[in-house]
Amino acid sequence: MRTMLRQCLAVMRREVYYLWRDKGLRNILLAGSLLGLLVFYATYSTQVLKDIPTAVVDLDCSRESRQLVEDVSGAENLKVVACPGSFAEVEELIRRGQVVVGIVIPENYAKSVSLRRQVNLSVIIDGSNMIYATNAANTVLAITGTINAQAGIKTLLAGGLHPDQAQEAFSSVTFREEPWFNPTLNYAYFLVLALALNLWQQCCMLTACMNIIGETGRKSWSQLKAAGVSKFMFFFSKSTVQIALFILTVLPVYYLSFNVLKLPLACSFWMLLLFTLAFALALHATGTLVSSFARTSVNSTRFGMIIAVPSFILCGYTWPLEAMPQIVQQVVKVLPQTWFFQGINYLTFKDPGWTFMAPFFSALLVIAALSYAAAALIASRS
Amino acid sequence: MEPVVRVRDLVQKIKKRIILDGVGLEVYRGECFGLFGLRGAGKTALLHILAGIDRFRSGSVEVLGYDIRKSERFKHQLGLVTQGKSLFQDLRAGENLDFLAALKNAGRENCHRVIERFQLTDYLSLPVTALEAGVYQRLALACALLNEPELLLADDLFQSIDPASHHIILRELKEYLACGGTCILSFNNMDAYSKNDLYSSISRVGWLEQGRLTVCQPGEARDQWDRRLKSFEEQSGENHA
Repeated sequence: MRTMLRQCLAVMRREVYYLWRDKGLRNILLAGSLLGLLVFYATYSTQVLKDIPTAVVDLDCSRESRQLVEDVSGAENLKVVACPGSFAEVEELIRRGQVVVGIVIPENYAKSVSLRRQVNLSVIIDGSNMIYATNAANTVLAITGTINAQAGIKTLLAGGLHPDQAQEAFSSVTFREEPWFNPTLNYAYFLVLALALNLWQQCCMLTACMNIIGETGRKSWSQLKAAGVSKFMFFFSKSTVQIALFILTVLPVYYLSFNVLKLPLACSFWMLLLFTLAFALALHATGTLVSSFARTSVNSTRFGMIIAVPSFILCGYTWPLEAMPQIVQQVVKVLPQTWFFQGINYLTFKDPGWTFMAPFFSALLVIAALSYAAAALIASRS
Repeated sequence: MEPVVRVRDLVQKIKKRIILDGVGLEVYRGECFGLFGLRGAGKTALLHILAGIDRFRSGSVEVLGYDIRKSERFKHQLGLVTQGKSLFQDLRAGENLDFLAALKNAGRENCHRVIERFQLTDYLSLPVTALEAGVYQRLALACALLNEPELLLADDLFQSIDPASHHIILRELKEYLACGGTCILSFNNMDAYSKNDLYSSISRVGWLEQGRLTVCQPGEARDQWDRRLKSFEEQSGENHA
């Protein structure tokens, strides 16, 4: 027992040396996800999309149309940057990417409004950038809703209705938008931590992919085999160090995220850490499985990256799983990243409690157990 | 006397190529057995099988009384110097000794002993990748002898090393044999080896050729090699003529 413990400690010490002296791996592990966190936070520091460049074409040039231009200029997220004279000019500005939204007020706008005729305002949105387009569409929708209501009230007033009655008629059914968990629909809250953790899991996968082939593919493997060391003891000790390193490297990411950048954390920190540990185990097991069947270290890294890189897109964090084809929904369930990123979303925004999170923990632990078992089987036969 | 190594009808194939074709061998306690063969003859394959590194197709191999397919206990009494540089490249010389001592359950005193005997003190803090060939081989043999093995397997130990390291390795090998150790040394250069002081310590030579092993006395092996060289020279002379 004492001999085994001494051997375990020696293997662990050697693994620390190995990881520390591989400068490339060390820098990636230590700085990769931290740097990612800062860069992503800087990217999303404005938190919501403001000042969406907008062009307004006023073909009517009336008092009413100027009022409308002012209303558009005063909208929360739009910024009127150009007032071209024709539809064609707006088209050109959008094509060049100088504006995202173009609003064209037609001739006879004021006249049509006063005669209570239908007025068609053209609102053009550049759809080439989905995020920009969605935000712009929401903002424009809010403005057009207000303008419609104003026009309606004016009509009712002209029909002889009392101003209070006209107002009530348009506010009898109100929709009060109330986004929960992220009230300001802050991009930074939603994306920054997830993107940093995505980088972190890729770095961890790189390390785990070297677990078996990194030893068996080297000449020093003959020393280990000739020494009669238990493979289980050897890889258990190595894996312990690697998983501990994974957790150590995610700690500064969590500290910066929640204490410095003030990203939301609804659950307790220990719950989050425990969940991260379960994921680290599952991820390490997946990498170990890859490293057991890969013929070379390079191939193992390639296979690992094939899993780790697209997993963030497929995990359902940015694009809902339910919107994916049924087969994809089932296939991605074998990836630990799917359970982790879904779980992280719940934990950071909602704190759904142990009972709700139990299937997530179980899935990660089952993936870990199955992957380690398969890796052990393959390694013992090779 | 019970042999330390007993090999019967050993067959090894790598990718359909027969490397060892029914090899039989017995090596006795205290013996220094020379394993000779040209490059690619299968010496390393045989030594790796004896060390329990590689599996084999058929036959039986017993080392230190253990069937190596059933038990790995013989490895506790085994020392190995490989032909390729198999020490841990990510560790320094001293760390290699510490690490292998821990794996082989050899005490700290054994580390100190081999460091002193192989004159490695000045190299302990150097990465193994920075060591010269001679110093590397001294370290490799020191690592192999850490656990005071009953059987030492050394693959091409004297390849391209400096005279000082050569002298140290020779001295320690003789000391090991004098203390009752058993060793199998492989080599591919009969001319150089037969001039080596160690050749006199070799009791028998196993000549490995085309997968088959022929065991003979060292002098006999030397003579056979000379005859073969002469034959080559004659053929070459005829060709020139």
